[in-house]
Amino acid sequence: MIKDIVWVYYYASLILITFMSIYGVATRPNLLKKIIMLSILSDTANMLAVVLGYHILSPKPPVYPGGTFSTTEFPSQEQLSTFAKYAVDPIPQVLVVTAIVIGLAVLVFLSFVAVLIYRRYGTLDMRIVSKRAREEVK
Amino acid sequence: MEKRLLCLGVCITVTAFILAFALIYTGVVPLAPSGNRPLAVMFLESTFNAGKWWLWAGSPEVVTSILWDYRGIDTVYETTVFFLAIIGAITVVRTMKIFPETSGKGSGLTVIAKTITKITFATIPIIAFSIAVHGHLTPGGGFQAGSAFAVAPLLVIAALSLRLLVERGWSKERLLALRTTGLILVGIIAILVPVLALLRHGIAYIMQNQAKLWAPAGLSAVVDLLGIKTLLSGTLFWLNLSEFLAVSAGLSLVFVLLAAPTKNFDKEVKG
Repeated sequence: MIKDIVWVYYYASLILITFMSIYGVATRPNLLKKIIMLSILSDTANMLAVVLGYHILSPKPPVYPGGTFSTTEFPSQEQLSTFAKYAVDPIPQVLVVTAIVIGLAVLVFLSFVAVLIYRRYGTLDMRIVSKRAREEVK
Repeated sequence: MEKRLLCLGVCITVTAFILAFALIYTGVVPLAPSGNRPLAVMFLESTFNAGKWWLWAGSPEVVTSILWDYRGIDTVYETTVFFLAIIGAITVVRTMKIFPETSGKGSGLTVIAKTITKITFATIPIIAFSIAVHGHLTPGGGFQAGSAFAVAPLLVIAALSLRLLVERGWSKERLLALRTTGLILVGIIAILVPVLALLRHGIAYIMQNQAKLWAPAGLSAVVDLLGIKTLLSGTLFWLNLSEFLAVSAGLSLVFVLLAAPTKNFDKEVKG
């Protein structure tokens, strides 16, 4: 029962961070804070994926132990079955590695746009920026 | 205002707990699972299983195997997306020229910070290279190694100056050329096995690593290097190295461009 409560707490805190970052993206006027909140949002989603791959059977990393450059004898089927029982799920980790790179690409582009906006308008406050941009269009 | 924020916080917290409970209660997310799913067991068992050579990737690192072998094309396109993001960022600042004369006169931090930065600047690339070449044996890989490497130029920019980095030859063009070289190498390795198979009138698919029953071509996992048998896991080792080159050059380029002083921008932004 205690364990169940702990897992509810894990998922609830992740969902809470998701809500908070969406709140931050929507309400903070500063562009930099919006970008920080967006990166927290993507990290929370990645964390959720990693938690989904976890299990409580004394988990080990999904790497067969003892591999070196000089390994030429490969493990037997029994050793691999034991390894597969205790290692955590590798698939969420792979998807997260991909998602991190995509998130980084978005972050790189957004930070360049933020730098340009700051150099153009002298501020990162999106209320002032949008007002001035509208005036320029007129 | 205070009361409104407090009310909002309580509402969000209660909603989060109710959602978490509902997700667990309806079985959408697992509650403390005591074992792996069948798909995970399949990957974990077959990745380093020499007995099932038609399914294996020849590497003890399951994550790298899935990343560069089983889901290889996905990773190639992911690298391309990152490349396009950097290209887009450079397009935004395309008229900016970064020369030693125009990259500011940063005097840097204190002597203590500078000395420590010089020492770490030598050690970070070594660690990053080690992560890259052990990518098919231990956790880590090309992308992680590249990210670790990019800390070195960032440290130099912060503790010494951007000017020093540019004077030492970390120019925009050179870093972009290295980035492109890395991506081209990934592309060459992706079509290496099909080309080798075509020369022998065989069949192979793009991003193939080990030989399969239906496509009996591939690079062997254990390679004879100067008489020493070395586990290179076929293409995984070379893909990790190329990705390391691509990501480290790309991230360094991003940091150099982001650290450039404002006056380089002024003409294009206001003009």
